[in-house]
Amino acid sequence: MIQIDRLVKRRGSTEILSGVGFEARAGRVTGFLGPNGAGKSSTLRILLGLDRATSGTALVGGVPYARLRDPLSKVGAVLDGSGAHRSRTGRAHLRWVAASAGIGRTRVEEVLAQVGLSDAAGRRVGGYSLGMGRRLGLAAALLGDPETLVLDEPVNGLDPEGIRWLRMFLRGCAAQGRAVLLSSHLMGELAETVDDVVVIHRGRVSARGTLAEVTGGHSSLEDAFFALTGGGGGGGR
Amino acid sequence: MRLLRAELSKLVSLPSVWTAFAVGLLVPSVIAYLNASSMRGRNAQAAGLDVGFEELGFGVIAAIILGVVAVSSEYATEGEESAGGRQITASLTAAPSRGGFLLAKIGAVALAAAVMSAVATAATLGAVAFALADAAPPMGEEVPRMLGVVVYWVLTALLASAITLLTRNGIVPLAVLILNTSVVSVTFLLSKVTPLASYLPDMAGARMITSRIHSSVEMPPVVGGLVMAAWVAALLAVGAAVFLRRDA
Repeated sequence: MIQIDRLVKRRGSTEILSGVGFEARAGRVTGFLGPNGAGKSSTLRILLGLDRATSGTALVGGVPYARLRDPLSKVGAVLDGSGAHRSRTGRAHLRWVAASAGIGRTRVEEVLAQVGLSDAAGRRVGGYSLGMGRRLGLAAALLGDPETLVLDEPVNGLDPEGIRWLRMFLRGCAAQGRAVLLSSHLMGELAETVDDVVVIHRGRVSARGTLAEVTGGHSSLEDAFFALTGGGGGGGR
Repeated sequence: MRLLRAELSKLVSLPSVWTAFAVGLLVPSVIAYLNASSMRGRNAQAAGLDVGFEELGFGVIAAIILGVVAVSSEYATEGEESAGGRQITASLTAAPSRGGFLLAKIGAVALAAAVMSAVATAATLGAVAFALADAAPPMGEEVPRMLGVVVYWVLTALLASAITLLTRNGIVPLAVLILNTSVVSVTFLLSKVTPLASYLPDMAGARMITSRIHSSVEMPPVVGGLVMAAWVAALLAVGAAVFLRRDA
């Protein structure tokens, strides 16, 4: 379970986050929605201990990420593409991640098969498509069989088949009792995947609740999103 | 231990590290072989004193490449439309303790540089012995200098890593450090201007390897090594302080 409370982040004189707070519960997929630059990635980077918050807390199972004993078994995260160096092979990338957590090489082959990358594992990441990069990132996140998944813009660059695959995969993760938190600026792809929705706009949470609660009064999640973020269609890319 | 293994695994699977290894192995041994061959018959005994070791001092560019790419590869980025991404996010989510991560990184770089320099030293001195045949200087007395080569390479690799921690980009430290070693040695030229420049890390560290240094400053090899180590420790401390505080 993820708990984020009154998160504030300032860079110089600009305030990127102004008191962001929400939860992502076990057994549910939580969609973290907002236009580009709203503060989604900043929130997730603070949650994972990559950036430091000016104030406020972001906890995983009650503990800040940086103090987790065995982080890969608690949280699987995909930020910034796959995080794999372009001149390494996909398999070599997973192997060093596995080594850092004392995970064996058989598990590397398992997750490669799970995301459908077994055949491409011996090729360098620089030659991967964007979608393959996403799958590699997801494979790394799954190495430790984590209780929680955190995914930043996971549908970016996926083809329709990939999006469908990811949707079923994430539903399966939630059904197994995991907490799934994913950010996106794309609404349509998410409506069928998420249970709970958090809408962020200009560093503030403008709505949160179940999908029905947030959509309530609007004809679709997309309409609700644009009403809540004040965008007239300029929210997407 | 796990983190060290992960860092070693990263180095071994990075092609540019193998390039560095090839450079460090071939460049000094081939040049030393050619130099030694040209000395054969002449006063090899006297001239042979430094042959091999000077080339190993030059081969330290391999350690520079290693030290730089070990850190710069964490920050390499190709924009949003690529399958890769900045590796540092993956590194720090796998190893959230930044101190632990940095120690493992430094340990892996030092270990790799030590292995590289040991192999390069054996190959280079072997090439010299082969070229000079009977005229080759006895190697038994040279063990301290061989250790000097290893220490010099390890410290240089760590120096390169420390600087790259600050720049987070490999190009500038790579260019500056390699040019200084090969084409124009700014630190050497400085030492012509002021004796203080003899205390710069590369000038001081070179005392561990070669006896032919034209400088007004007297410095035994051990002192030279300690001066260089102090520089490296200071730069690593600055690099670590910045790394621990800065957003990844």
